[in-house]
Amino acid sequence: MKRRNFLKQLSGYVATGLSGDIAALLAPYRSSPLASLLVPMDDAQSDHLKAYGVTYHVVQAGIKAEWLLNYRGGSFLLPDGPAIRRDAALAGVSVEPVEESRVTAIRGEIEASNMDAVPLEKAPKVAVYVPPNAPPWDDAVTMALQYAGIPFDKVWDFEVLGGKLPGYDWLHLHHEDFTGQYSKFYLIYAGQPWLAEMVRFNADAAKQLGAATVPALKKAVARHIRDYVGNGGFLFAMCTATETIDLALAAERVDIAAAFADGTPMDPEADAKLDWSKTLAFTGAHIEPSPQIASFSDIDGHQVNAPARRQPLGAFKLFNFSAKIDPVPTLLVQNHRQVIPDFYGLTTSFLRSRLKPSDVVLADEEGAPWVKYINGNHGKGTWTFFGGHDPEDQQHQIGDPPTDLSLHPHSPGYRLILNNVLFPAAKKRELKT
Amino acid sequence: MRPGCPESAAEAATRHWPVNRPCPALAGDAEPRVYPRTRPRTPSGFLRLTLLGLLVLAARSLPAQAIGQGFELERAGQYEQAAGIYLATLRADPTNLSALLGLERVLRPLNRLGELLPAAQRAAAASPTNAALRGVLLRTYVALNEPDSGRAVALRWAAAAPRDEAPYREWAMALEDAHRHAAARDVLLVGRRALGRPGAFGIELAELSRLSGDWEGAAREWAAALEDAPVQLPNAASALAEAPDAARERIARLLTAGTPSPLTRRLAGELLLGWGQPQRAWAVFEPSVATPSADAAFALRRFADLASARSTPDARRVRALALARYADLTPEPGGAAARARADAARAFIDAGDRAAARAVLERVAQDSSAPADAQRLAQRAVVEALIDGGQLDTAARQLATNGRLSADDRAGLRLRLARARIATGDLDRADSAVARDSSVEGLALQGWIALYRGRLKDAQGLFHAAGPYAGDRHEATERTAMLALLQQVPAESFRELGGALLLLAQGDSLHAVQALRLAAGRLATGAGGGGRPDLLLLAGRVAARLDSAQQQTALALFDEIVHTAGEGAAAPAAELEWARLLERRAQTAEAMRHLEHLILTYPGSAVVPEARRELERAKGAIPKS
Repeated sequence: MKRRNFLKQLSGYVATGLSGDIAALLAPYRSSPLASLLVPMDDAQSDHLKAYGVTYHVVQAGIKAEWLLNYRGGSFLLPDGPAIRRDAALAGVSVEPVEESRVTAIRGEIEASNMDAVPLEKAPKVAVYVPPNAPPWDDAVTMALQYAGIPFDKVWDFEVLGGKLPGYDWLHLHHEDFTGQYSKFYLIYAGQPWLAEMVRFNADAAKQLGAATVPALKKAVARHIRDYVGNGGFLFAMCTATETIDLALAAERVDIAAAFADGTPMDPEADAKLDWSKTLAFTGAHIEPSPQIASFSDIDGHQVNAPARRQPLGAFKLFNFSAKIDPVPTLLVQNHRQVIPDFYGLTTSFLRSRLKPSDVVLADEEGAPWVKYINGNHGKGTWTFFGGHDPEDQQHQIGDPPTDLSLHPHSPGYRLILNNVLFPAAKKRELKT
Repeated sequence: MRPGCPESAAEAATRHWPVNRPCPALAGDAEPRVYPRTRPRTPSGFLRLTLLGLLVLAARSLPAQAIGQGFELERAGQYEQAAGIYLATLRADPTNLSALLGLERVLRPLNRLGELLPAAQRAAAASPTNAALRGVLLRTYVALNEPDSGRAVALRWAAAAPRDEAPYREWAMALEDAHRHAAARDVLLVGRRALGRPGAFGIELAELSRLSGDWEGAAREWAAALEDAPVQLPNAASALAEAPDAARERIARLLTAGTPSPLTRRLAGELLLGWGQPQRAWAVFEPSVATPSADAAFALRRFADLASARSTPDARRVRALALARYADLTPEPGGAAARARADAARAFIDAGDRAAARAVLERVAQDSSAPADAQRLAQRAVVEALIDGGQLDTAARQLATNGRLSADDRAGLRLRLARARIATGDLDRADSAVARDSSVEGLALQGWIALYRGRLKDAQGLFHAAGPYAGDRHEATERTAMLALLQQVPAESFRELGGALLLLAQGDSLHAVQALRLAAGRLATGAGGGGRPDLLLLAGRVAARLDSAQQQTALALFDEIVHTAGEGAAAPAAELEWARLLERRAQTAEAMRHLEHLILTYPGSAVVPEARRELERAKGAIPKS
């Protein structure tokens, strides 16, 4: 068992974004007799989601912060200073000034328990994959980022194929159907203007980018994303993107798209020709052969839009990990709740039998054949998949109003999303994950 | 259930077949245990016949029992087992429609629809004239993407029944189920030509047009279909109401072009009403009810009901017009007409057309056959019209002398009259109108009168006595807000404040702001201020809603409050209003600075959560629905 590495000297960063004045006040920030600010993440916290934003701003300003895994719900330890207090006060985030002696006691408790303190070094540069013409649904991750005040860029196929991904530390995927079948929305929303516009937009993009069809374009994008992860990127995917990106990767040389998507029917032997060695998370799945059924494969356990197969929602439970030995999964499951009500998405969950042996299951529904939240490595990078569309909207329909996160400041589901945003900021350690 | 189809399996399933054990008498020579036997005896000839008949019935009931099991399995989601039952049933009875339909349902999610085809073919061959079996075969071919075979079945069917719409309808519906809307449309158009009926399949074609986004086509088809099926008017309106904004004007012009039929006019009228154009809706609709008839009366009543869903003055007015017209046309003497006129009068009053209201009410008053409740309604509306028209003395006389008003109406109208007196500044007569009213509403109004006279302590007492129960929630909130203000002012009487608040109640906001500032000037300055910051805050809030010049006054007032109010609640409240005004003036950056200052400077203030929300809104962090 390897012990934890000690922290390296911080490199300076120029403060950017919303907390410029934090950097400007670097010098006087230790003028307070109190050494640090504890941002509790248990029930004492008044806004869990914005707490991630406050921490992000600190790190963004080049100031060291620490994530105290398993300590009071995954609290953060920040240096005390007027600018940081100001940011927290404006955000409505609870902070507790802690003296040196108390910090020492906290560290002692961490050392003696299944806890760990992970330095947060670098604010990740975040990209969200979304087409420029926003479709009529809402992305839980962008809503979380906006609410927490964490800046991000939008990228799409042009940027991905144009090699822009290496400029980002963290990439998020949500609704995209990488099989190129427009999420099979035509089965339910045929005739809707937005669907026609989506088809036209994607077809134009395929033409401009030299792809023969939209499915071919999406497969190329999927491969670029996989390569981005392999080269050290962090990928976080939710909903349809989780299942379809792997299907697109496995089907590199197989037609798995229905005729309405590429003009040719699906290869009837598609299942036998899928190459699961090219995927990130899944293996051995069966493609849904019928274009009339609103499902992509049997990866999804809940099959929400296939009425005959639809499974009811339950609740999923986060696993406990050893904070010192498995810091990565520990970090990803930090929460003030362990059992979280489930929520549907076009891909809601992942059948256990379709996971690769190397996948780490972070949360599952007890007794059910599916899991909810998984993580793994690919090359030098990491991917995390979280099933479902919106943790605070169990049965989101297209056209429903977006979730107002100010009404859900303690959302445990959204905390899991934001764990992933801060994850790349954590100093990597050479430990088994 | 599809039109033209025989009983569906769902309906068949509602007839319960009890799941019993098979009759053991079918095996060998054993006698059936149909009746309990007490002693063995040889059955007579009659009994033998009876027993034979029962055997036959038992044998016939076996497939029915089996298919009942199939339904149960299907309901439980066990499609594989259900399919097995249905297939077994068809082996014994190839033309069993319930089993065929059951197979059609369960094989689809199992992705085994191909297995239905031979069964459907056998059934159709065994009973070639059975339309339901033809329908199953046709649907199966289409679902299996065998268009030529499907077409052949449909055309054979059409040839055998040349005047029947069913073959084309079934064919089109099968294509629609396969999301081949264009092909479905073509089939219906072919059918229309073949049948020689230009109005055939209008509803189906309207729906297909809608699905493909051809809203004008849908409107055209609905308009044509209504002539044969007037009862479909609500469905037509409901379907076309969903048209996107860009298509609505085109639909309206299409329906109103030339000389549209009455039904088309009614359709256009309903659509325009739902799309927020009530005046135009009435203009289009009205000619359709020019000829008195029961049908026209029904249409008017429906139009009025639809208009009542809108609360704009125009919508109220057209509702009133429709009701007044309905009253003229309704075939029922006395009751319904009088009530409609009374409703129309109220609607005219709500729309601000008192002259029209009075004209309608006079007819009610002259109608000796009008029932008592309609008369009361009319009389109440007359007095309301007088009050709203400013004829307060006439209204007061009516209240005093009109014996047809109920006690409750009289009490409510008295309060309404008192409020009207207050609005004109006649506090003495308002006071005398409610002085003996001990209801909570009366106490609340007395509180306001006392306040406007400057008797602050009396006003507080009366507001407390009225509690939160008088009036609606808005009125209760107003009284609470006023109590909060009065609690900051130490004086027991303050005529200048009363006068300022009366100006505000009369709608003279500009002078109210000046009067409030003057009143505030009479209170002490310094920390706390004896209510001075609170009066200035009220003045600022009022000024902030006025023109640009007054908004500048508001900004100056908020500035003064923030810098002089000390530790009271007025300072953070003023800063919040300041930020809101700046945001409305598109000075977002400055607004955000004030919100941040508020949050940081007054962390314990009750307005901090609101301030945070305004800050997030200013940053664009709150999603727009």
